Amino acid sequence: MDSDDSVAASAIGRNERTAAADTRPDSVESSATDDRDIAVSVTGLSKRFGEGDAAVTAVNDVSVDVESGSIVGLLGPNGAGKTTLIKSILGMVVPDAGTVRIRGVDLYERPREAYGSVDAMLEGARNDYWRLTVRENLRYFATISGVDPNSVRDRHDRLLAKLGLAEKADVPVRELSRGMKQKVSLASVLAGGASVVFLDEPTLGLDVESSRTLQRELRRLAEEEALTVVLSSHDMDVVETVCDRVLIMSEGEIIADDTVEALLSGTDRHRVRITSRDLDTAVVSALRRRFDAHRVESGDPSPRIEVATDSDGLYELMFLLRRNDVTLERVRTVEPDLEDVFVDLTTTDRGDR
Amino acid sequence: MTAGGPDASETPRPAGYRHLARAVLYREYLIFVRYPANAVGGLVISVFFFGLLFYGGRMVAGQALTDSIEGIIVGYFLWSLSVGAYSSISNDIGSEVQWGTLERHVMSPFGFAPVALLKGLAKIVRSFVTATILLAVMLVVTGTSLELNLGTIVVVATLSIVSVLGLGLAAGGVTVLYKQIGSWLNLLQFGFIVLVSAPAFDLGWLRWLPLAQGSALLQRTMIDDVRLWEFPPADLAILLGVAVGYFAFGYAVFQYATRRARRLGVLGDY
Repeated sequence: MDSDDSVAASAIGRNERTAAADTRPDSVESSATDDRDIAVSVTGLSKRFGEGDAAVTAVNDVSVDVESGSIVGLLGPNGAGKTTLIKSILGMVVPDAGTVRIRGVDLYERPREAYGSVDAMLEGARNDYWRLTVRENLRYFATISGVDPNSVRDRHDRLLAKLGLAEKADVPVRELSRGMKQKVSLASVLAGGASVVFLDEPTLGLDVESSRTLQRELRRLAEEEALTVVLSSHDMDVVETVCDRVLIMSEGEIIADDTVEALLSGTDRHRVRITSRDLDTAVVSALRRRFDAHRVESGDPSPRIEVATDSDGLYELMFLLRRNDVTLERVRTVEPDLEDVFVDLTTTDRGDR
Repeated sequence: MTAGGPDASETPRPAGYRHLARAVLYREYLIFVRYPANAVGGLVISVFFFGLLFYGGRMVAGQALTDSIEGIIVGYFLWSLSVGAYSSISNDIGSEVQWGTLERHVMSPFGFAPVALLKGLAKIVRSFVTATILLAVMLVVTGTSLELNLGTIVVVATLSIVSVLGLGLAAGGVTVLYKQIGSWLNLLQFGFIVLVSAPAFDLGWLRWLPLAQGSALLQRTMIDDVRLWEFPPADLAILLGVAVGYFAFGYAVFQYATRRARRLGVLGDY
């Protein structure tokens, strides 16, 4: 361990004792059970940037366990602390406090050993060498992740085939499209011995088909090979489709930690789609003043509007429509999706929860 | 189990430092042969400036320049060697930061240190290839002959530029912390002209600066035909000490800067 890691480790040790006594938010379930195969274990992780009044708490006492073979989505608005959390888990940002264990190995005590099973594709980075070919990148990054590239040649062929890169295997990465480059990035992360991967915005820049291919491949790797994936994305559809579990971050803390299904069933936020000939500009303006409402294109001659509200708001909505003499032609409740849950959780005053 | 697809016949074998060395050096080789424009461009510019120096100087200084041409050639040879090594290592680190590949090396079970050392080795070899071509061109253009004791030249020149590699690593470390400063640090290579031409045998303290001692010994080798074993042991010890010292200094600065960048959360932010 280098001296910086020693400093970090001693700070981590101090915090571990205090963190154990801390009470975590109710919305965050404690996930420490003995019978699960935990790939990543984070305890009491905190990171502040700056000093004094200008200090910003990027990550505040985050504890979370990730089971082997699961795909965990990390959501949060910009500045919520997602990237700092990921980089702190990976040791790219040294935390002020907390412990990180990858497959049971303390990353700050024995980084070289821990790095043998983890790799990452970080947002905004190219992550690989554009002047090398696709296959050369896979071989290079397999080696630096601690695996003899000749022993995983078949794996590389499979990865290239699954990600639609087989025909481009001997083409320099710089000559590929942005989406292809993104796939090469992912392939190079999976090329070595990593059984835990962190992917920051993995579908950024991908077209719909490529994004779906990538999602399918991630699910296959998780299910068939127990690959553990922690992915951060602003694309709610990706997270909803591919993740077993979702962590939602806000202001440096995890404010929700559950399966997609549980999060969807727990939300009190509804979207109501109303169709009526009486939805004129004045009515729509009145609705917008009180609700999150927007017009929806419809094939009908009658205008259609979609209103987001909670249960209490439904009564008010009906009252408002009645007061404006709106005759309802059709009212339909739209099932909430992850985006609704996310907006609900991250826009609600945190003190109310 | 790891990613990529199950196959009972396929058992990933761990990679050792031998594999790492092969991967890093092979990558450097591929870049060198696949994109020769950079090397050729640098060579053409070096030859152009030498031509300017030689023909321009001869017009101005006449016989005086011709008398000292051997010293100028040796100095220019060492300067081009050191500039090649310094700029390639410092720029390389800057690029790795920009591409996000530095973070992947830091995350490697090997760490970035052995990769940096291997890259340094590759840069030295690469610099030797281009500087040797430049030397040949200079000798042909000027009609000069020098003593080319290969073993002595390689040892003295290598130790000389190892100290410069240290400066390159330090500059790379500063770039990791302050990013855009990298292009300004490239200007340092013009300071190497002063170091190469420093009168190290006349002013003893100059010997402790990078390049100065190496340049003085290289002049004696290539002009006076002094072999490695003919140098006083103290001179060689200083050369070795300066090489190890500056390289260790540069490496320490790089390590410190990387740790500081991790603390500040700016390791990969460009």
